[in-house]
Amino acid sequence: MAATRTASRACEIFTTLEYGPAPESHACALAWLDTQDRHLGHYVNGQWLKPEHRSSVPCQDPITGENLASCLQAQSEDVAAAVEAARASLENWSTQPGAIRAQHLTRLAKVIQKHQRLLWTLESLVTGRAVREVRDRDVPLAQQLLQYHAVQAHTQEEALAGWEPMGVIGLILSPTFPFLDMMWRICPALAVGCTVVVLVPPASPTPLLLAQLAGELGPFPGILNVISGPASLGPVLAAQPGVQKVAFCGAIEEGRALRRTLAGWVPELGLALGAESLLLLTEVADVDSAVEGIVDAAWSDRSPGGLRLLIQEAVWDETMRRLQERMGRLRCGHGLDGAVDMGARGAAARDLAQRYVSEAQSQGAQVFQAGSEPSDSPFFPPTLVSDLPPASPCTQAEVPWPLVVASPFRTAKEALAVANGTPRGGSASVWSERLGQALELAYGLQVGTVWINAHGLRDPAVPTGGCKESGSSWHGGQDGLYEYLRPSGTPAWIPYLSKTLNYDAFGLALPSTLPAGPETGPAPPYGLFVGGRFQAPGARSSRPIQDSQGSLQGYVAEGGAKDIRGAVEAAHQAAPGWMSQSPAARAALLWALAAALQRREPNLVSRLERHGVELKVAKAEVELSVKRLRAWGARVQAQGCALQVAELRGPVLRLREPLGVLAIVCPDEWPLLAFVSLLAPALAHGNTVVLVPSGACPIPALEVCQEMATLLPAGLVNVVTGDRDHLTRCLALHQDIQALWYFGSAQGSQFVEWASAGNLKPVWVNRGCPRAWDQEAEGAGPELGRRAARTKALWLPMGD
Amino acid sequence: MSAHQQGTELDLSWISKIQVNKPAVLRRAEQIQARRPVKKEWQAAWLLKAVTCIDLTTLSGDDTASNIQRLCYKAKYPIREDLLKALNMHDKGITTAAVCVYPARVCDAVRALKAAGCDIPVASVATGFPAAQTHLKTRLEEIRLAVEDGATEIDVVINRTLVLTGQWKALYDEIRQFRKACGEAHLKTILATGELGSLTNVYKASMIAMMAGSDFIKTSTGKETVNATFPVAIVMLRAIRDFFWKTGNKVGFKPAGGIRSAKDSLVWLSLIKEELGDEWMKPELFRIGASTLLADIERQIYHHVTGRYAAYHDLPMS
Repeated sequence: MAATRTASRACEIFTTLEYGPAPESHACALAWLDTQDRHLGHYVNGQWLKPEHRSSVPCQDPITGENLASCLQAQSEDVAAAVEAARASLENWSTQPGAIRAQHLTRLAKVIQKHQRLLWTLESLVTGRAVREVRDRDVPLAQQLLQYHAVQAHTQEEALAGWEPMGVIGLILSPTFPFLDMMWRICPALAVGCTVVVLVPPASPTPLLLAQLAGELGPFPGILNVISGPASLGPVLAAQPGVQKVAFCGAIEEGRALRRTLAGWVPELGLALGAESLLLLTEVADVDSAVEGIVDAAWSDRSPGGLRLLIQEAVWDETMRRLQERMGRLRCGHGLDGAVDMGARGAAARDLAQRYVSEAQSQGAQVFQAGSEPSDSPFFPPTLVSDLPPASPCTQAEVPWPLVVASPFRTAKEALAVANGTPRGGSASVWSERLGQALELAYGLQVGTVWINAHGLRDPAVPTGGCKESGSSWHGGQDGLYEYLRPSGTPAWIPYLSKTLNYDAFGLALPSTLPAGPETGPAPPYGLFVGGRFQAPGARSSRPIQDSQGSLQGYVAEGGAKDIRGAVEAAHQAAPGWMSQSPAARAALLWALAAALQRREPNLVSRLERHGVELKVAKAEVELSVKRLRAWGARVQAQGCALQVAELRGPVLRLREPLGVLAIVCPDEWPLLAFVSLLAPALAHGNTVVLVPSGACPIPALEVCQEMATLLPAGLVNVVTGDRDHLTRCLALHQDIQALWYFGSAQGSQFVEWASAGNLKPVWVNRGCPRAWDQEAEGAGPELGRRAARTKALWLPMGD
Repeated sequence: MSAHQQGTELDLSWISKIQVNKPAVLRRAEQIQARRPVKKEWQAAWLLKAVTCIDLTTLSGDDTASNIQRLCYKAKYPIREDLLKALNMHDKGITTAAVCVYPARVCDAVRALKAAGCDIPVASVATGFPAAQTHLKTRLEEIRLAVEDGATEIDVVINRTLVLTGQWKALYDEIRQFRKACGEAHLKTILATGELGSLTNVYKASMIAMMAGSDFIKTSTGKETVNATFPVAIVMLRAIRDFFWKTGNKVGFKPAGGIRSAKDSLVWLSLIKEELGDEWMKPELFRIGASTLLADIERQIYHHVTGRYAAYHDLPMS
């Protein structure tokens, strides 16, 4: 009987030629859940932790809704236990030779290889993503990550000399891709000798399984601890003593909130935010291949977010036709079916997409969906939104999965303007068969990753990250390693949190200054150095500067909010010109400035002397400043490199691009040397600068400005004197400053961190700790160079 | 068989702007092999469909009447009768789509098929197969002789020289003459893609061949070093779709050379389904040029029906 049914079925399929189900058995995933009695806790210090009296949430199959297990929700005590375990194993793990850590990571890679089916079926089962994607990409990538970082650990002593592991790392994951996100970050952290506590969203068993596999390897159980709990535990995790860095992946607004909450709490916060990607299709592209790129980017369960699609007008109709035709062939279905393109991602993701679609429609957009899903279905069909009015709120909002929002452009220049006209800067692809055009676009896009004629490629050796509101944390490659390293000898982090700091009032009021009598000796240069010349301050008032005897040395201009605004504008105007200068030209200018400083030495020395610096020290300070300028001038040449990766024929370029307008608040100490030590790397990397000099002794900096007025292009360096708190406030809250370095009080540091959440600019603060500017490591170390530029990975596939 | 594809006037603007990005096509080719697995009954049905699309081929120097006869018999009875019965497909007229031989063997094939009592078409290669390095006059004569002998499908090879030197007009004119020489016979144009230099050339040659009136475009002769590959197929299928969108004419596709496993044939079918749609998944518009493929498909069907793997002697040879 059964045979007949099969037979007639074959006969029918012979005519319809439809696809059948190709289910992947998930028996082993269920069997593993059974080993935990379908009751998952946390994995801490090499064992399961299942404390009593905790609430739990169900872990469900997002497609059938079937209850797979219940997951305990962590509370503060559990977080503390996990951090304690990580802290206890830090000493042992971080002092192991790199070779031993390399061995351990290699062993973990082998374990993953042996149990890959369990990993991929479990991940696909609970996330609803297509098993093909997890099986063919995520799990192999996880192994490659471990292997790559094992090699990095092996060579650490040599290659990363001068750096040490940060310590205990707190990692907070988003619900979309917890397994892969976790692998990208724990691998470098463990490789360099950090230990990790991972906070995963409730009902994410795969990270727990991985922790178990790692824990059962033996000698180092406490290096990887996974607890599951709500995102509200993030600050609890950050506040645990010993946590040296918090890395967060998730939504932009959550990241922004976390940045504000954690101001003054943790030494480092790494944010990887947002999920939207961008695809730029020019008229000289292979349109059919670009359509496949769109499928890769949005509808193949590869990327966590949606896609913004920019199409050149000349190929708009053709692209739309091909895209809609292609959408008709996409298959949604159960993630564990090997023949589907897209699974489902649960109610939250579906509702988010639905809301966006409804809103776009109400704003007049055209919506094309392949196939129609009933509204109670767990699936959301591939969706193409077009004709969205440019000014509508949807155009500005982040595009959610699985949507593609298409809009036209006329010229390459316009494409860049549109593409860069969002606060996000994650990844983008450029489709063009003209090499010159493709490179021009790739260099011009303000994003962390650009693929030429491809989308969504990944490799452990290639740094991945973003800029602007996508956060400035990196994973993969060298950049990923430095995320978990600090220069050797960095003093231990003493938490400083001023609960009483009133963010609304900090630096708000400008103290009024009164005349303090006539100047004695030669009057210093007067004015704010903005746009290449000395200008009167907007407030039209001045502040007296005393020398070490307490007598008046001179007046400097009292800068304010309007002056900062003007300085930032001037810096932006100078930016394109400076950025496009060749490294040689930049070096020449820095060297010319060095020579000018040398000429002015007597003058500078006497200024420093009046400030109470000994003659010998003052001379040394000027000399060292000259040396710094020369050194950074020489280093300009050595930037960027080409990488060779497995998945690609052709190079991946690791570019180092200027941040843009960099604001620097100099420390009070070392008035000349600190000023030059901070300015030189910033200029060498192509940034334009708005700078607040030492508050106690701004005059040497102003003297240098006199030289810069004749040597440097106008607006390249802008120096604003005045009340430091007030100026810091103006800079930190400015939305169009791309990075901020602050050297001042602990309170100021805390404020800067809090305020930077506005545009999520990367900040570097000293929390009131003095820095040895005269020492090579702290005054001119590689740390400065690393912070003075941002990385971009540019994938260049080859073949004809 | 349906009427011929008439082709169109030569319009070089259809090929002047085209850009094919090889790395992207290679990625797509890799994906297509992993994204549409076909299992169980579906696999059996799809494999039988593949059988009906096979041009069962022998193109050897040592072909004689006897092995041609055996080939023709296998074309008529490609799958063991009891296996077809088990699938309830024994009365569906499952045969291969055609047999494909050298011109000198056409008479043998026609005779053998007549003796077996079936109307499977005989396809003949022609035009200086496989290199096409003979005079146009003899190449045209070759077609006429094969048609006279009873071939109803002619697999011609194009002149690669014309492609590599960019003489598209000359290529169009040559294929037009082949078309005319074929008369009522179907024209399948072999592009010998392994020798065209780039995927962009593959697209252009496909388009020219279709404009000139080919009923099928075919990847390769089976005699080049690189034969039917998925990247090349993707480019040709996209050209077929573009031509269909421009003219409304459906042109068939025939990969040949190197297709040996049943699994491969499933990927080829899913590739057609994905790029062109169900309409193209029939022998009128899709052929697989193969000689050993059939044996592997039969083994797979044997396994599907019996649950056991067959020994070679369990199944009749071709």
